[in-house]
Amino acid sequence: MIHVSHLVKYYGDYAAVQDVSFDVPAGQIVGFLGPNGAGKSTTMRILTGFLTATSGKATIAGLDVFWDSVEVRRRIGYMAESCPLYTEMRVEEYLRFRAGIKGIYGATRRRRLDYVIQRTWLGDVRRQIIGTLSKGYRQRVGLADALLGLPPVLILDEPTAGLDPTQIRSTRELIRELGQEHTILLSTHILSEVEMTCDSVIIINKGKVVASCSLEELTRQAGERACLVATFDGLVDPDAFRGLPGLTALSPETIPGGVRLRFTTPDMASMAPLVCGRAVERGMKLRELRPERPTLEDMFVNITGGLVGTREQ
Amino acid sequence: MRPTLSLIRREFTAYFVSPIGYVVFAVFLTVTGYLFYLSLELLTARGPRGISFPMQLMVNDVFWLVFLFIPPLLTMRLFAEERATGTLETLLTTPLRDWQIVASKFIACLLFYVCLWIPTLLYLPVLLDLDWATGLVGVDPWPVLTTYLGVFLAGAMFLALGLLISSLVKTPMVAALVSLFVSLVFILAGFWRPDMDTSGAAYRVLYFFTVPLHFERNFSRGLLDTRQLVLYISLALFCLFLTVRSLESRRWR
Repeated sequence: MIHVSHLVKYYGDYAAVQDVSFDVPAGQIVGFLGPNGAGKSTTMRILTGFLTATSGKATIAGLDVFWDSVEVRRRIGYMAESCPLYTEMRVEEYLRFRAGIKGIYGATRRRRLDYVIQRTWLGDVRRQIIGTLSKGYRQRVGLADALLGLPPVLILDEPTAGLDPTQIRSTRELIRELGQEHTILLSTHILSEVEMTCDSVIIINKGKVVASCSLEELTRQAGERACLVATFDGLVDPDAFRGLPGLTALSPETIPGGVRLRFTTPDMASMAPLVCGRAVERGMKLRELRPERPTLEDMFVNITGGLVGTREQ
Repeated sequence: MRPTLSLIRREFTAYFVSPIGYVVFAVFLTVTGYLFYLSLELLTARGPRGISFPMQLMVNDVFWLVFLFIPPLLTMRLFAEERATGTLETLLTTPLRDWQIVASKFIACLLFYVCLWIPTLLYLPVLLDLDWATGLVGVDPWPVLTTYLGVFLAGAMFLALGLLISSLVKTPMVAALVSLFVSLVFILAGFWRPDMDTSGAAYRVLYFFTVPLHFERNFSRGLLDTRQLVLYISLALFCLFLTVRSLESRRWR
């Protein structure tokens, strides 16, 4: 549905986007993940035609975003970062105006308005002036506006920015629901959001795509880096454990009062009793034994910090 | 076509939602009302006092001084505020083309400007010496008609200028101030009249683009000089063209 290849964008001498390539298949929710300043908003603005790329090519639904910009915009619903709206208009008035701009008139417009308002739970605030709405409601108005044309592709820039936890939850639910009918590309720097709403994730850092894989793949890689952590009191010789079957790596670490050993092994379930047994045999004081799985956040920090490279899919 | 109408409608109603529209209305009507009162006094005066072309008094120095502020105030928010609040992004990512956006904003602005003048139609029966019984006018109606045409076209020119400047700057305040200074170029020489040598070369150059002089000599006396009509129309169209280009160039940043 969305194909981006070798997109480059320079603001003067500053490279905001350098050689970004990715694909978003139809019907999927893809998360564009990256720290602030990574180039997420810039890429999205290029896709919607607000900016032009310095070089590279992007197509949405088979149409080039530069050469067929107006046609592409007909097939996109875009929600900009910080959701700018006309604060002096009423919700219904604003949505009627946006529908008019997108070429929707008459009875279709009335039906469409009812549909998007019902979908984004704006029924209670239909007649309210946008300036008096809270941030959560304003984001919903922005989302309703993006839905108006019933576009096949939704591009949402930080859809849950600035919302409180309840609102975040309901917005994510809504996005998941919408994902069943639309192709969604959303950008965020919150990992739990990616975990909860997206089918796959593209991690971008300093203008370059660092990782691009489905969520299962990422969790699997996180699982691969899991290890068993054993904390001992007093001095302990790590060599005592080197002979254990299935042990792939062992790294000691001195902590106040004792030693912490990290056992990396493909089979954590059987390693735990073995470590326990060996410790008791040698009379070591085993204080704590637990598995340690890197969270998605650790993965993210490592990836964007450049410490770990992940395989591209 | 219909998306453009939607945008025109929204821009036009936006004038009536903010206080600026009403302030401009109030000031404008007060000034024209006062000038009408002065004309009326002269028209109904006894003895040798009188005025041959009442429109010369309706559209005189005082009027131009106030008029100077109106196009900047009307056009300052059109693009500059959208840039400041970020709503320009939501407008430029719709299937509207750039020229449709510029045309809609200009037409909405012009429509409001025409609405400013509509209440002055009340003065027409007096200015034309309308005989209620027969419906015939007592004086030559052409000065009035040409003056209205003149203010419409001159207004279109100043509004287009203001629109262009609004699309180039970041805040409405700066847009208003810059429009004011640029409009001043077209109006300033009109206030030097007592000191200027009307046969000199400098005067002849200034006359081409000084709008109050056009009105004083031509429009308020029933004359239509095509040089002036060409100036207003071509400059308005040129400014609109530049505004479309300016909007387009925003995508290339």
